[in-house]
Amino acid sequence: MPGLALLTAPIALFAAEGEGGGGLQFPPVENLVIWPDWFLADTPFAFNKIAFMSLVAFVVPVILFLIAGRKAKAVPTGLQNVMESSLDFIEVQVIKPAIGPDGMRYLPMLMSMFFFIWIGNLFEIIPTAHMPANARMANPLMLAIVAWVMFIGVGVKHHGLGYFKEALFPPGVPKALYLLVTPIELLSTFIIRPFSLAVRLFANMLAGHILLVTFSVLCITLWGFQILNIVNLLSFPMLVAFTGFEFMVAFLQAFIFSLLTAVYIGGALHPAH
Amino acid sequence: MLLAALNLLASEGGEKAVVNPVVPDSIGEIFWGTVFFFLLWIMMRYVCLPPLLKVRDDRKNQAQADLEAAAAAEAQAEQVRRDYEATLSEARQQATQTVDEVRASADAERGKQVLAVETEIAEQRQAAMVELDQARSTALGALKGDVTDLAAAAASKVVQSPVDPAAVRTAVDEYVNRSGGSK
Repeated sequence: MPGLALLTAPIALFAAEGEGGGGLQFPPVENLVIWPDWFLADTPFAFNKIAFMSLVAFVVPVILFLIAGRKAKAVPTGLQNVMESSLDFIEVQVIKPAIGPDGMRYLPMLMSMFFFIWIGNLFEIIPTAHMPANARMANPLMLAIVAWVMFIGVGVKHHGLGYFKEALFPPGVPKALYLLVTPIELLSTFIIRPFSLAVRLFANMLAGHILLVTFSVLCITLWGFQILNIVNLLSFPMLVAFTGFEFMVAFLQAFIFSLLTAVYIGGALHPAH
Repeated sequence: MLLAALNLLASEGGEKAVVNPVVPDSIGEIFWGTVFFFLLWIMMRYVCLPPLLKVRDDRKNQAQADLEAAAAAEAQAEQVRRDYEATLSEARQQATQTVDEVRASADAERGKQVLAVETEIAEQRQAAMVELDQARSTALGALKGDVTDLAAAAASKVVQSPVDPAAVRTAVDEYVNRSGGSK
C-alpha cells in the first residue's frame, strides 16, 4: 500500500532521528509539574512558582474588585460593570439554581473559589508561566477540603446531627434497602465527593497542560527537521487551537467546581430535595 | 508520541524516584494556597464585595422606588382621569337637565302663548261672527223691505188690485227665514 508507506515514512524518519539523539525528546514529568523552591526551601513554607500563582490568584481579584468598588456608581461602567457582571454570574448561574435565594450568604466563598481557580487555571496559557496552578494537587485538594467542610458544616448547622441521618438514610426508601443505600451514600457523599472534586479539576488541568506541552515540544522539535517541518502546518494550528480550548477549559473547570460546591451546600441545606 | 513520552518516563523512573502527580508532595504549595485562598475569602467577604453589593442593592431599591413612584403616578393619573370623567359626566347630565328644563319651559310658554293667541283669535272670530250676523240681519232687513215692496207691486199687477202689504211682508219673512235657516 503505497499510501500507507507515504504516511509512515516521515514517522519512521522522525523515529530514526530520535534514536540518533536529535529527535523528539519529551521532558520528564517532574519538569512539567514540579517546580523548584524560590525561598524558604525545604521547609513547610517553601515558596515556589505554584505558590506565586496562588498569590497572583489572590491579588488580582482583590485589586480588580477594589478598583471597581472604589467609586461605584448607580449606573455601572467599565470595570465596575465587568466585576458586577461576574457577581451576577455567580449569583444567577451558581447560587440561585443550586442553593436558592437563601444561598447569597455563600457568595463571598463561591466568588473566591471561582476566581482563585480561574486565575490559577489561566496560567496554563499565559506566556512565561505555561503551568496551571491547579495542575498540582495542592490547591484542588485544599479547595475540595474547604467545600467538604463547608457543606458538612452547613448541614450540621441547619439540621444538627440529624443531617447525617437524613444523608445516610434517605426517607422513602424501604428499610431493607438501607443495607445497600447507606454505604453507597456514605461513600458518595462524604468520601468520594471531595476526592472527585479535587481530581476532576486537577486531572483536567494536568491533561490540558500535558497536551499543550506535547504539541509545543512537537512543534519545536519539528522546526529543526527540514523535511518534516511541513508537519508544523498541522501541528502549530493545533497548538493554537488547543490553547484556545484550554482557555475555555480554565473557565469551565472554575465554574464546575464552584457550581458543584454550591450544589453540595444546597443539598446540605435542603437534604429532603 | 505519548508512548515515547511514557517510555522516557519509564526509563527515567528507574534512575529517580517515581513521580506521582496525584499525590500532593509539597506542603508549601498547600500552605500558601490555603493562606491565599482564605485571605481572598476574607477580603471578598469584608472589603471587596460590600461596596458593589451596596451599590447593587441601592440600585435595586432605587429602581423599586421609581417603579412604585411610577405606579403611584399612574394611579394618580387614573384617579384624575376618573374625576375628570365624573365631572364631565356630571356636567353633561346637568346640561341635559338644563336643556330639558328649558325645553319644558319653552314648551309651556309656547303652549301658553298659543293658547292666548287661539283665545284671541276665537274672540276676534266671535266678534267678527257677531258683526257678520248683524250685517246679515241688516242686509236681510233691507232685502226683506225691498223684496216685500217688489212682491207687493208684482202681486198687485198680477191680481189687478192692491194687496195687503202686511200679508206680503209676512209671506216674504217666512220665505226668507226659511231660506236663511237652511243655509
